[in-house]
Amino acid sequence: MVAGMHLTALGDGAVLLEPSEGLDPTDPDAYVVPLLEYLQQSGATRLIYDLADAVVVDAVYYGWLKSLYNACRVTGVTFISANIRPEAAYALATTLEETPPFPCARDVEGARRRS
Amino acid sequence: MKAELLAKPANTILIEQLNANMGRISAIIEEQGTALFGAQGILTADDIHEYSIEFLELLVLVLHAGEQLGRRGPEFEALQKFFANSARQIQVRGGTLEQFVRYVQALQRVLIEELEESDEYTFEQSREVLLLLARLFNDLVLSVFQAYLREKEQTIQVQQEELRKTSTPITEIWDGVLTLPIIGSLDSSRTMMVMENLLTRIEKERARVVVMDVTGVMAIDSQVSHYLIQMVRAIGLMGAEAILTGIRPEIARALTSLNIDLGAVTTRGTLSDGLKEAFHRLGVEVRQREGGR
Repeated sequence: MVAGMHLTALGDGAVLLEPSEGLDPTDPDAYVVPLLEYLQQSGATRLIYDLADAVVVDAVYYGWLKSLYNACRVTGVTFISANIRPEAAYALATTLEETPPFPCARDVEGARRRS
Repeated sequence: MKAELLAKPANTILIEQLNANMGRISAIIEEQGTALFGAQGILTADDIHEYSIEFLELLVLVLHAGEQLGRRGPEFEALQKFFANSARQIQVRGGTLEQFVRYVQALQRVLIEELEESDEYTFEQSREVLLLLARLFNDLVLSVFQAYLREKEQTIQVQQEELRKTSTPITEIWDGVLTLPIIGSLDSSRTMMVMENLLTRIEKERARVVVMDVTGVMAIDSQVSHYLIQMVRAIGLMGAEAILTGIRPEIARALTSLNIDLGAVTTRGTLSDGLKEAFHRLGVEVRQREGGR
């Protein structure tokens, strides 16, 4: 168990991460190590981050996603975001200065299928 | 008697004038109304009569409201409303705003001429009445113009909104493929509207590929290219892929001279090529049927 998120093994090495209300995106260090430990112990090769409940994905939240992506990358886990809401995508796209380095899928199923 | 006359304020003088000569003033106003609107059939004799009565009644109420005319008071608002409604009605019936303003000027003239015919007031009193009338009618004409401009602006806004909607039609051309032809120029408000519609459609149609065709974009600057990149980014965040098509040579040149990097964006020459690429990504193959023409 990792505080601030709900993790579900989906099979085929995929793990679904659903952030809970207690998650504090301003403090990535509090989550990254325990999360990577969980992923390594469960033999995960893919982390699907579910953004369905994220009403706003601002610069801070984006920073958290990026640090998670970077941590996954160096440990050989593919990070994919999924289910972003149109309004959150719009707000994020208009504030971003770069193209997100991680792949984004329409939904969890799409993220699982994505090669 | 003289002291009492000197102390009489301008609004009281006007009320006295109106009460004493109401019938004649009303008849002259109707004559003016008939000359302006009757001959062209814009207003009937009954309409003109009602306008005249209502105007005089509302004017007396305003004058009773006090020397300062209570220009923010309910009486003045009622008079403003009467003028705004009358102006609208006359325009709906084919009259012009200019005709209506002439009518308002005629009303003012009638009241001034009535004052001229009376010799019981001093020069100062007459001047006060004239100033009061000028202030009152200037405010009324101004409020008529403001109402007219407000309506015009609303009409223009509605038309612009319609134009924006129709100039950026998002079509699901195939299961999971949306096309977005962009015609004209992109500004922040249009980009916002297009992006909102597009992202909602991506979610609704579960689109996987969006083909954005810019054949109809005549000019591009750094701001417009920034908007295009934002759109591509937003499409990517939604889990769909964007294909940009129809970049004309002069647009391509502008993009390179602006150092805009479209390296991360898939581009194709024409909408047709963009669709082929979209089908390719979906694993769809479109082939000519054997024996087909």
